[in-house]
Amino acid sequence: MPAYMVSLLKAWWGDAATAENDFCFDYLPRLLGTHGTYDTVMAQLEGTCKGYFLMGENPAVGSANNRLQRMGMANLDWLVVRDFSLIESATWWKDGPEIETAEMRTEDIETEVFFFPAAAHIEKDGTFTNTQRMLQWHFEAQRPEGDARSDLWFMYHLGRRIRERLADSTDERDRPVLDLTWDYPTAGPLAEPSAEAVLQEINGFGPDGAHLSSYSQLADDGSTSCGAWIYCGVYADGVNQAARRKPRTEQNWTGGEWGWAWPSNRRVLYNRASADPEGRPWSERKALVWWDGDAGRWVGHDTPDFDLDKAPDYRPPEGARGPGATAGDQPFIMQADGLGWLYAPAGTTDGPLPTHYEPQDSPVDNALYGQKRNPARTTYDHPGNRYHPSGSEPGANVFPYVLTTYRLTEHFTSGGMSRWAPHLSELQPESFCEVSPELAAERGLEHRGWATLVTARGVVEARVMVTDRMTPLNVAGRRIHQIGMPYHWGPNGLATGDSLNELLSIALDPNAHIQEDKALSIDIRPGRRPRGAGRPALVRAYQQRAGIGADTGTAP
Amino acid sequence: MSPDGDLVLSLVGGGEPALDSGYEDPPPRKGFFTDTSLCIGCKACEVACKEWNEVPADGGLDFLGLSMDNTGGLGADTWRHVAFIEQRKPLNGAEANLIHSDRDPNGDFRWLMSSDVCKHCTHAACLDVCPTGALFRTEFGTVVVQADVCNGCGYCVPACPYGVIDKREEDGRVFKCTLCYDRLGEGMDPACAKACPTNSIQYGELDELRERADARVAHLRATGVADARLYGRDPGDGVGGDGAFFLLLDEPEVYGLPPDPVVTTRDLPQMWRSAAVAGVALLGGIAAATFAGGR
Repeated sequence: MPAYMVSLLKAWWGDAATAENDFCFDYLPRLLGTHGTYDTVMAQLEGTCKGYFLMGENPAVGSANNRLQRMGMANLDWLVVRDFSLIESATWWKDGPEIETAEMRTEDIETEVFFFPAAAHIEKDGTFTNTQRMLQWHFEAQRPEGDARSDLWFMYHLGRRIRERLADSTDERDRPVLDLTWDYPTAGPLAEPSAEAVLQEINGFGPDGAHLSSYSQLADDGSTSCGAWIYCGVYADGVNQAARRKPRTEQNWTGGEWGWAWPSNRRVLYNRASADPEGRPWSERKALVWWDGDAGRWVGHDTPDFDLDKAPDYRPPEGARGPGATAGDQPFIMQADGLGWLYAPAGTTDGPLPTHYEPQDSPVDNALYGQKRNPARTTYDHPGNRYHPSGSEPGANVFPYVLTTYRLTEHFTSGGMSRWAPHLSELQPESFCEVSPELAAERGLEHRGWATLVTARGVVEARVMVTDRMTPLNVAGRRIHQIGMPYHWGPNGLATGDSLNELLSIALDPNAHIQEDKALSIDIRPGRRPRGAGRPALVRAYQQRAGIGADTGTAP
Repeated sequence: MSPDGDLVLSLVGGGEPALDSGYEDPPPRKGFFTDTSLCIGCKACEVACKEWNEVPADGGLDFLGLSMDNTGGLGADTWRHVAFIEQRKPLNGAEANLIHSDRDPNGDFRWLMSSDVCKHCTHAACLDVCPTGALFRTEFGTVVVQADVCNGCGYCVPACPYGVIDKREEDGRVFKCTLCYDRLGEGMDPACAKACPTNSIQYGELDELRERADARVAHLRATGVADARLYGRDPGDGVGGDGAFFLLLDEPEVYGLPPDPVVTTRDLPQMWRSAAVAGVALLGGIAAATFAGGR
């Protein structure tokens, strides 16, 4: 077993992990299939997923096909929601759209819903990790108010209580829980676990109990522990490197002493490529690392992302394997050939070359191929997830327009952090859709009036913005109008509105299983949407007009 | 010094308002240069201002339909306001590619964004008319309302030639941008300038900002942005120049700014003099009539 894996198992199960028991490898739960969020929703609907934790996520607004999300949650035994406010995913059982339309009755829903208020980032210690891979430590500025607790508090004390309940168990299946190293120190009136203790466990310890400084120290004999090899070194020398705050005026331009970046505090990956084949910076101004011939090692402003003593003129011997097979002028050390790749020739379900398919629901056929939709996409057969006829298929003209979706700077994703904040809510207070003057004239839409938007999944209403920024498209010899709509709103909070994701189907891309939510066909009409039972009735009427059934849009 | 003396001083001062207001050896005048050609409409200035100054939300949660603007304008509870203006105008070489071929064969479209703020006038009418001294000139040359002195008379509201200062109705007093007087005293940048991610809002010494603005507008014009202009930069204008001035890409009216603002108290001394002459004449007339009647 590789050193990284053994060290991870030692971090989790400590003394219980030995060479004799494969370092508790069999304690790890196994993957039984795809466990993505949409597969989990389907498992909820099938009744095989019984319990659900929502921590900082609001699928009743933020995930495609909100109604299916709520129907899945309504089929659970229990649901735990941890968030700042009573988000839609915490209250759908009493005031969600299906309660209003009488598709669900609160007294019939057997899901036990628990809401735990969450502490905000200023109310707890921890790190931010940004897309530059840089960790920045933040300190608790004030204690959480009321019952609010940090995620760390919740997970630690939940685990502690479960372990107490299981303490006398002799059942083999409880060993993975009972053998965990679950011994973080707590402090203060709330018994807040030490986030720095967790960061130290992630960093890892050597045989002498000292903090590791590099993942190159990890061993496969159980003498080292490390909770995540990429973070090894974040607590080098027993110092919280993520908490470093040296001003830029007191260090070089790469800022390597502000916070800490994984792995090994490298600020730029593959930075060997900033130097020419002989190891000299391509540009003095942008120099990152270079070969110091006298010292016989790579040095520079950044941490070199290269074997430190591998000279630029190193050439691998015949039959070399692993890092030794990478020449001294091949910077891309994670690739088998040490070279930069423009595309991944293997390892993807779909690819490697890009091509064009029409979206799942499209008003036109594919202009390039007879194949309309991506044949490798994932679709889900459920009465609440019906697809549209596309292009030349009968009924496609029932949804003649294109909807595209996006975000605003004023709100954050599904709104749990922004729709309850007065200073952000007032900036974008209501759900709206954007249409061109031409579409407004065609459908009788009035600026600042209301529009009703319909797909085979749902119907929502939104305020209308008529703007020249939206322009009709000329596609396949036809003029096709597009509608733009941001997605942040839901019925709860200060800034409210129908959720755009009620309209979306669940259809996933083959590689990353991302929902297709940037382009779909749709209909729009003036005025507000029906209330009560009229809301699902309108969706059914559209499905019937378009001749939609279980097979619509599902052919490969 | 009499109120009238204050008034005259404010109007005839030499453009160093802190000095003219009686500060001995004040620090250099501070101000804003808002370069709207750099604004991306993120509204971080609006939020940062409200957070730092504890300005409440305006209460209204209405969709205004003013492009992406749901604030509408400056007021007692909005000290920075980002306007969004959608125009069919040439974009100086950039391609917007928004073609409405049946209506507009040229197809050019541009989206102006601009963060408005109190102008901190050299000749500030709000300050001139304030009867309580709640409005005062700071050592930095800015104009600030002291909330604990304001009696809510509201004289300053119609006096402002820009319509900036405003009464908080449920409170009764007036509020406006302080140019973060509390931060300036600590050597910090105002909250809006600190939060601005594109340097559209620039804070600093006014003389230096004017030089920077002159260079910027010259650069823009040289690159073909013929409409680029400075607004409120000229010390010779009707308010003696703004402490917070702007680079605009169109006529001021497009942004909701008055084209030729004049300090509303400019004519007051002349009006008082005329009134005094009229009063004396009237008294003379009454006296004459009385004496005449007595005969």
